[in-house]
Amino acid sequence: MALIELRDVTKRYLVGEQEIRALDGITLDIAQGEFASIIGPSGSGKSTLMHLLGCLDTPSTGSMHIDGIDVTRATGNRLAELRNAKIGFVFQSFNLLPKFNVLQNVELPMIYSNVSASERRTRALAAIERVELSHRVKNTPLQLSGGQMQRVAIARALVNKPKIIFADEPTGNLDSKTGATILALFRELSEAGSTIVIVTHDNKIAAQTPRRIEIQDGKIVENAMPVSA
Amino acid sequence: MNFFLGFFVGLKEIWAHKFRSFLTMLGIILGVASLLSMFALTAGMAKGMREFMQQIGGIEKVGIIPQELSGKQEGIWEISPGRTVADAEIISRSPLVSHVTPISMLANAAVQRAGNTFRTEVSGCWPDFVPINKHVVATGRNLCPLDLELGLRVCVIGRLVVERLWPERPKYDPIGETIKINDRPFKIIGIFEFYEREEDKRKRELGIDPAKDAVKGPRPPPRPGGGMRGWNPFDRKNSTIIMPISTMFWEFKSASVVGGVDSGPQFKLDGLSFQIADTARFDETLEQVRNAVLTTHRGIEDFNFDTRQEWFDNIEKNVRSTRVSFGFISAISLLVGGIGITNIMLASITERIREIGVRRAVGAKGRDIFIQIVVESAVIGFIGGLFGLVASKGFLKIITYFSPAENAPVIELNSVLVSFCFAVVIGVLSGLYPAFRASRLDPIEALRYG
Repeated sequence: MALIELRDVTKRYLVGEQEIRALDGITLDIAQGEFASIIGPSGSGKSTLMHLLGCLDTPSTGSMHIDGIDVTRATGNRLAELRNAKIGFVFQSFNLLPKFNVLQNVELPMIYSNVSASERRTRALAAIERVELSHRVKNTPLQLSGGQMQRVAIARALVNKPKIIFADEPTGNLDSKTGATILALFRELSEAGSTIVIVTHDNKIAAQTPRRIEIQDGKIVENAMPVSA
Repeated sequence: MNFFLGFFVGLKEIWAHKFRSFLTMLGIILGVASLLSMFALTAGMAKGMREFMQQIGGIEKVGIIPQELSGKQEGIWEISPGRTVADAEIISRSPLVSHVTPISMLANAAVQRAGNTFRTEVSGCWPDFVPINKHVVATGRNLCPLDLELGLRVCVIGRLVVERLWPERPKYDPIGETIKINDRPFKIIGIFEFYEREEDKRKRELGIDPAKDAVKGPRPPPRPGGGMRGWNPFDRKNSTIIMPISTMFWEFKSASVVGGVDSGPQFKLDGLSFQIADTARFDETLEQVRNAVLTTHRGIEDFNFDTRQEWFDNIEKNVRSTRVSFGFISAISLLVGGIGITNIMLASITERIREIGVRRAVGAKGRDIFIQIVVESAVIGFIGGLFGLVASKGFLKIITYFSPAENAPVIELNSVLVSFCFAVVIGVLSGLYPAFRASRLDPIEALRYG
């Protein structure tokens, strides 16, 4: 069974009187350990898709399973638990809490999963070491460079040992050189066994992932499986 | 997320916006300070009143006062001999009465010694006068039955009398010395202790010079019509002079046996008071005494009881209603402080929509966000409450400086707890609405915000 299974999923919004179909009949499987990218122009529905996959939202119709759990009709609290336990997020604008230092930022997801203070610390330090920022543990995000901030965000995404990591335009706010190092980091994580999905509008980034899912007007137009799979 | 952690997140948030948090807290600080000051002032007032009640004999002291005859007994007052020593004797048989004394007074006697004259009230009485009026003989002795039997010219005097008659040695214990009361020589056999308020006593023990503080120490006689201000209820008690009632009768009153059915040796009293042994049986005791006294008054109801019960009730009622109305006003100021918190918390969550989005994305439930915001505003209430308690100290200093009332404010532990808890409760309540708003934010919207 795939890690993520979407079956004929649609997502509709009402904007005033008008109904917008953000997603229209999406069927998609993502397996454990995959490194995929979702690509599409703005307005194509890729963000909506990521919100669904990331358990920030539920589909209007169709069914969706994550790690064997049916989340089609999950409540807000259930979704929060799933996000906490199974999903890590990396955002374009990093979304670190500016008043907390690196360690506290990385500890944040564990605060909501009742991990003891000492274990929080150990696990957060391990995750920070994984992204090679052990020397900046006590710094606040404002004292870090963009690339460092994104690595803190990756450490935060990793710290609860999620089943899958979603990265929403992770290199969008970085220069190309730093962006390349971040992508390299994702590749390393993927090789180490993490499931990673990158959402982007940049073909150059999408080209670097084994699997490429292209979406346009709420429909999947290309779903290239890696050759080896 | 546990509360302990929430507390620290709250503290951090407050610390990150020190000045804003301080302004927010100021409402709570002033509210708590005014609430606690009000409690302290009314408690001081109540304490002063209770002290006064105690020094005039407490609730257990009951006086028997003459009463106009009414209705069916009108016009036959002559049948009764009025209040006499016989009344006191018959009351003393009641097991419900612990002490009783007849009183015969010289209202404005001239008390003299070596050129010093002091005009005061002198009472002839039984030894029981002392316990009934909560007097304590500090040096020498109280009157005794032999003094009464023999009608000896002896007296027990208060400290203020000593100060007046021996102005050069106010601390002197003139036991055995002779003073003149209306030109008759009397020997001093005992001196009462010096009565003062608790706070005066404390000040004196701390060594604050009484002469520098106009409120206490040797003081001029109460100004006529001077009202409450500057008047010390203990002055009168400290000027007490008592002598055996038999002496009073033979020396000063023997010419006053007049009129009525009985023109015998029974002379009319100026006062008659007794002490109830058990205040739980108050009404029962009064009934028994009434029955006893009706026999000596030959069934004529020309007397009534002067009890302090109503006074006590009134005082307690006044204290309560003052507390409630003052408390209400202070509570409003605390409430205003709470509205301030709500306002700031609403502004603060708008500022932190993004943060809330991040927290939701990493797994915070709406409930977690709710708790965080409530804890934060509770922390403001908590810290504001603590500062408020400190501030109330200053408040009270200022209040007592500008109006040095007779009754110093009393800070009671439970009023401290009540004010403090109220501040925390206000903190929690004012966080509820902002917390509700924050917890209802859609995580996707919140992440996209700004």
